[in-house]
Amino acid sequence: MIETFKKEWLTDPKTNILAGIVVALALIPEAIAFSIIAGVDPMVGLYASFIIAVSISILGGRPAMISAATGAIALLVTPLVREYGVEYLLAATLLMGLIQLILGILKVGKLMKFIPKSVMLGFVNALAIMIFMSQIEHIFGISISTYLYVGVTLLIVYVVPRFFKAVPAPLIAIVVLTAIYLYMGADVRTVGDLGAIERSLPNFIIPDVPYTLETLRIILPFSISMAIVGLVESLLTAKIVDDATDSYSSKNRESRGQGVSNVIAGFFGGMGGCAMIGQSIINVRSGATTRLSTFTAGMVLIFLIIVLGDLVVQVPMPILAGIMVMVSIGTFDWGSFKYMTKAPRTDVVVMVVTVSIVLMTHNLAIGVVAGVILSALFFATKISNVEVDRTESGNEVKYRIDGQIFFASVDTMMNQIDLDDEDRMIELDFTNAHIWDDSGVDAIDTMITKMRRKNNQVYIRNLNKDSRKIINELSMINKEELV
Amino acid sequence: MYNSILLAADGSENSFRAAQEIRKFYNKGAKVTILNVIGYSDSKSDVLHGSNSKSLERERLEKISDITDFFEESGITYETAFEHGEPKETVVRVANSGEYDVVVLGTRGLNSLQEMVLGSVSHKVAKRANIPVMIVK
Repeated sequence: MIETFKKEWLTDPKTNILAGIVVALALIPEAIAFSIIAGVDPMVGLYASFIIAVSISILGGRPAMISAATGAIALLVTPLVREYGVEYLLAATLLMGLIQLILGILKVGKLMKFIPKSVMLGFVNALAIMIFMSQIEHIFGISISTYLYVGVTLLIVYVVPRFFKAVPAPLIAIVVLTAIYLYMGADVRTVGDLGAIERSLPNFIIPDVPYTLETLRIILPFSISMAIVGLVESLLTAKIVDDATDSYSSKNRESRGQGVSNVIAGFFGGMGGCAMIGQSIINVRSGATTRLSTFTAGMVLIFLIIVLGDLVVQVPMPILAGIMVMVSIGTFDWGSFKYMTKAPRTDVVVMVVTVSIVLMTHNLAIGVVAGVILSALFFATKISNVEVDRTESGNEVKYRIDGQIFFASVDTMMNQIDLDDEDRMIELDFTNAHIWDDSGVDAIDTMITKMRRKNNQVYIRNLNKDSRKIINELSMINKEELV
Repeated sequence: MYNSILLAADGSENSFRAAQEIRKFYNKGAKVTILNVIGYSDSKSDVLHGSNSKSLERERLEKISDITDFFEESGITYETAFEHGEPKETVVRVANSGEYDVVVLGTRGLNSLQEMVLGSVSHKVAKRANIPVMIVK
């Protein structure tokens, strides 16, 4: 216990604290931009990032992973905030956390492996496209200066890291360009035009909504979506951090930790959040391995907001928009284009359908669920395909049966077998088949009974162990026919 | 005579050519360590594109299988090492660990613009390694 604590908190504290500071600097612009996407004051995202980072550093399953306010959740809640306001968002966040906590207790982490690769690719790509699209209103058709600020921001974030890596490039863009803006002025919108920054710590509040069934009816669909999306992104990120740090982490503890952290966020005026792939990679790249890095990130973030809050409202929006364009480019999986040419056609369809549904519904959760259902259907279709090969020589007929024999595939098998043979030796070869259930056994029984009736001799050959067992238990055919 | 040879390999055509070059000066009894550096953003794409049935280790071994196959055919003793980190820094760090007599690597074959943006691994290794460096074009 004490050993684990030492390892997860106190290993190489200097590197981990420095990594946490770097992450805090990179988190601030994102937390503000995600708040604006959700349609709330920047404080809602900043408080969320502070609370979730600190809380998950203690409760999470994956040391050195960064969780905070995220684009995936912000994009989900936009319609809720627009129609009902921020208090409903806080209530939805509480419920989201509660659902995640329950899913964590039910050990839902294991279910992640049922989300196929094609759906995960669809998820990250849809997320990237949605983040990009959310910035269009902050970039196009405002002013020439806006284009200029976006352009220079992109130039800084892509070129500077080639030569200088100690400070995150987005922060350099913000400091340099905001200084230029304050000195010269320009026809651009600022963060202050879209919301206020308070230089104070968050307070405990109970979301100001009527506690009625009607409220539950409004927030529940959002909370479920937020819970699913939060867990999918968090557990994917945990797998990535596991790989990058050559270690393993508890996915169920992470799910529970995400749940509790979101409940706390909701009570302190923060929107829901989850793990962030980009920030976690920044953290690990900076050498972080322990919980101290995540804890530091949260604490430094709130400290900077309290100290520098007045300056933050002066930051021109196009700088944040430029940074979000970078985030969306980094989120997109560019290997997907190669994947589309190489992967099986059905997998590509699943990925494209997942992306399309997200873009149509603006809801990542619906995309994931639809993608999983579609790929399950494709899978069932694929494995219910049974091939039967018939060869004749003299009086002998030989069938080679190839595939999975179960309720969905028995019809395909039966359609390929000729039941009109009379007075023959029929051999059924099951070398490449597997009988899974009573429907499969039943079909074989039917087949053999009908063949026998026409005075044929029937033999079954090469059943594998499991198939033989199920036949012995359930079938009415006699032992002499089993070879 | 080199007893301990480090081969930096990324699974590309160029790193295979570097592996072929080793056979020309390889002496019996020597050992080649095939170093494959996994960048931090590679973790993301490898996890996303990884198959459910195989471990990431297996998939990464397959990525350099043309080299291991070639070494086996040629009777070259080898081991594989996977390290996480930025390619340039990691190759330099491992090369300077004191365990190796020479480091061999291929060039990525970038044009000068790509090189300016991406930076050349071979250039950096040549500059910073404390042991002889062999760059195979």
